Amino acid sequence: MSISVRLSKLVPILAMGAIIAFTCGAATAQTLATVKSRGTLTCGVGPGVVGFSAPSPSGRWTGFDVDFCRALAAAIFDDADKVTFVPLSAADRFRALQAGEIDILSRNSTWTMGREVELGLTFPVVTFYDGQGFMVQRARKLETALDLGGSKVCAQSGTTTALNVADYFNANGMKYEPVLTASADETVRAYDGGQCDTMTTDASALHSERLKLARPDDHVILPDIISKEPLGPAIRQGDAQWFNIVKWTHFAMLDAEELGVSSKTVDEALASQKPDVRRLMGRDGGYGEKMGLTNDWAVRIIRRVGNYAEVYERNVGTKTRLGIPRGINQLWTAGGIQYAPPIR
Amino acid sequence: MKMRAAIVTLLFAGMNLLAVAGGVQAQAWSGPRPDQNLAGDQPGYEPSAQEEELPAEFRTQPVFFRTTEPPGTIVVNTSERFLYLVQGNNRALRYGIGVGREGFQWSGLKRIDRKAEWPDWTPPPEMIERQPYLPRFMAGGAGNPMGARALYIQGTVYRIHGTNQPWTIGSAVSSGCFRLTNPDVTDLYERVPVGTRVVVLQPPKL
Repeated sequence: MSISVRLSKLVPILAMGAIIAFTCGAATAQTLATVKSRGTLTCGVGPGVVGFSAPSPSGRWTGFDVDFCRALAAAIFDDADKVTFVPLSAADRFRALQAGEIDILSRNSTWTMGREVELGLTFPVVTFYDGQGFMVQRARKLETALDLGGSKVCAQSGTTTALNVADYFNANGMKYEPVLTASADETVRAYDGGQCDTMTTDASALHSERLKLARPDDHVILPDIISKEPLGPAIRQGDAQWFNIVKWTHFAMLDAEELGVSSKTVDEALASQKPDVRRLMGRDGGYGEKMGLTNDWAVRIIRRVGNYAEVYERNVGTKTRLGIPRGINQLWTAGGIQYAPPIR
Repeated sequence: MKMRAAIVTLLFAGMNLLAVAGGVQAQAWSGPRPDQNLAGDQPGYEPSAQEEELPAEFRTQPVFFRTTEPPGTIVVNTSERFLYLVQGNNRALRYGIGVGREGFQWSGLKRIDRKAEWPDWTPPPEMIERQPYLPRFMAGGAGNPMGARALYIQGTVYRIHGTNQPWTIGSAVSSGCFRLTNPDVTDLYERVPVGTRVVVLQPPKL
């Protein structure tokens, strides 16, 4: 609550910041040229979110959001390591982007209208569709959140999470008893201690909170998603070339997965006679140079970082500790909503 | 046979104790144990309930699944090693499966034309050629590689069946068939009638 009050006071200031960013934009709109002359991409990331962006003990940044910046660097430099990662707190992230301290923000941020029209930013793509879900004990064999009527529901107080639960249960004519806690950790403890039948927060967070339970495998996250949290990278408005490069980096990884091109099959794909594979590989079309890169830009991404499935499974997929099923982030051809326009 | 199964169970229990003593909690799926054969069928082997307890990601669970296939359709995604039973309203029940080896892979839309409990097994000549030690016929039962239930896929020699080698779930081993653990195939058997559509998806070819 207090957050929204402070935000509304901040808005005029932020809007002014956006105007300044716009006016400066004329001089600095050539983000690609700046990155190339600097020799490295500057990428804002979360300071330590398991699976999304975290430094390893040796100091190397890994994660789903980190790999997006590595893919951009690969497309530009043919080197996924030419990235300077800048850890940013939630409060700092948009200011740093507006101020031009980073070229891109890749920090599981939700794409909202307010952030575009008030902050002068733009979210070119959704790399990860997140949303609020429910965790329950596996032994209850529940198949849908619609069976949660009459449940005690653990949620963090003062968040949109608690409000979404109220909306969802009311809309479906179900009774429930909220068990509100002061922090995320307290929610986990309350649920693990049996004070509630289910706990709720964003699905990606549920998967990481599940690891803190005494017996993680005894709990499942139901498939129902009751709110929209589309996560993706953000950039400053006013640089159409940079906007395209960010968009098509994501689309190239999706199209590669759809066509069966991965870091393991990329050499085989270079010899393919299939027209859509040839265009992705830059053998036909010449779209890379028209975008300000080289025609093998997508080959570089796939070889150095991988296709969307490889990035997903390596960082957050079912074989990792987080174990987030592809679900809604599956390709549109395989039960999800990740859909890329064709390269042609 | 009972004696052998009992010894295997004891060994397995012992290994679990060791794992717990070693501080390992949620055992990561690191593939089958050396004594768990991936290379061929093991007629006569009777799996323990513990062996049928799959790693978490392969246990049955409801998932988000958007499709134009009608509810009740079975969708098999061979590269994921998952079988989905479409339930409508953007959801499906997901089962962990083992799938056909390279070279025995196929895709398309078929229907289930027959169902059987504890099916008998008559390995086709191609299998006998690859694994000459296999019996020519084996009656249904706990040690039968066909497992507890079979759903026969129309117009093919293939079927969705159980297994007496539950550790093969998640890998590509069977001869073009789709195998589930016996508890899972029993669950699926109760949910799908004869005539159910089966859609098999394969990874794209370059």
